[in-house]
Amino acid sequence: MITDNKVELHIPSVMGYEKIAMECAASMAKKMGFTENRIEDLKTAVAEACLNAIEHGNKMDTSTKVGITLTVEESKLQVLVKDQGKGLDKVTEPNIENKIEGKDQPRGWGIFLIKRLMNEVTFESSPEGGNITKMIIYLEK
Amino acid sequence: MNKDIQLSISQKDDVSILNIKGDVTSISGETIEDAYQKVSTAGAKKILLYFDKDGYINSGGIAILIGIASESRKKEQKIRITGLSPHFQKIFDMVGLTKYTEIFPSEELALKDF
Repeated sequence: MITDNKVELHIPSVMGYEKIAMECAASMAKKMGFTENRIEDLKTAVAEACLNAIEHGNKMDTSTKVGITLTVEESKLQVLVKDQGKGLDKVTEPNIENKIEGKDQPRGWGIFLIKRLMNEVTFESSPEGGNITKMIIYLEK
Repeated sequence: MNKDIQLSISQKDDVSILNIKGDVTSISGETIEDAYQKVSTAGAKKILLYFDKDGYINSGGIAILIGIASESRKKEQKIRITGLSPHFQKIFDMVGLTKYTEIFPSEELALKDF
């Protein structure tokens, strides 16, 4: 669905479909005038938020969807990624040394990357159920 | 063979080169792991991972590469990387993979003094 400043899409909870959301966000950012570097940052953050929603939120249940809302404002792009899950487990900061030494699983980099690549990030529970990842990226002047 | 990735193995002197075209994700990771195990079993001590600069790499793919970096330390192998876009060079640096592998801007430089 497209309104003047907003695009909404829904993807199935299947790995690989995050690329559709990623490309949609990239197209929107390009239209707004974001630099190539920031578009790449956005693509990774959107893909990771969708992957979290697919895997951890919706537990890969193919009957569920992940909703993505892209809202254009004057100097920023806001991305909401919403799943139908029951709350996410607490995530600890990943540590490469522990992962290399086999003390931790090698996975668990999604939220780490989102936080570092976006200007603002919040993780909330939706009143209607599900989790929402809200990300904002600012257009640099 | 996963359709999201194409992988071929080549050899230059004593360096085993894994040419990775396409997505590096948890889905395609098995293909990369299999290729790594294949060259390891053949006794490789120097391995070059040659990525596609237009490829998509996600956190699942990064985890696969951390697993390979971890195993390579136990096997006393050296891992070098080339072909990455500037964005993924930044991501690899961000997660700390560059502490355990070396990134080079070209295959030629990666092979030099390996």
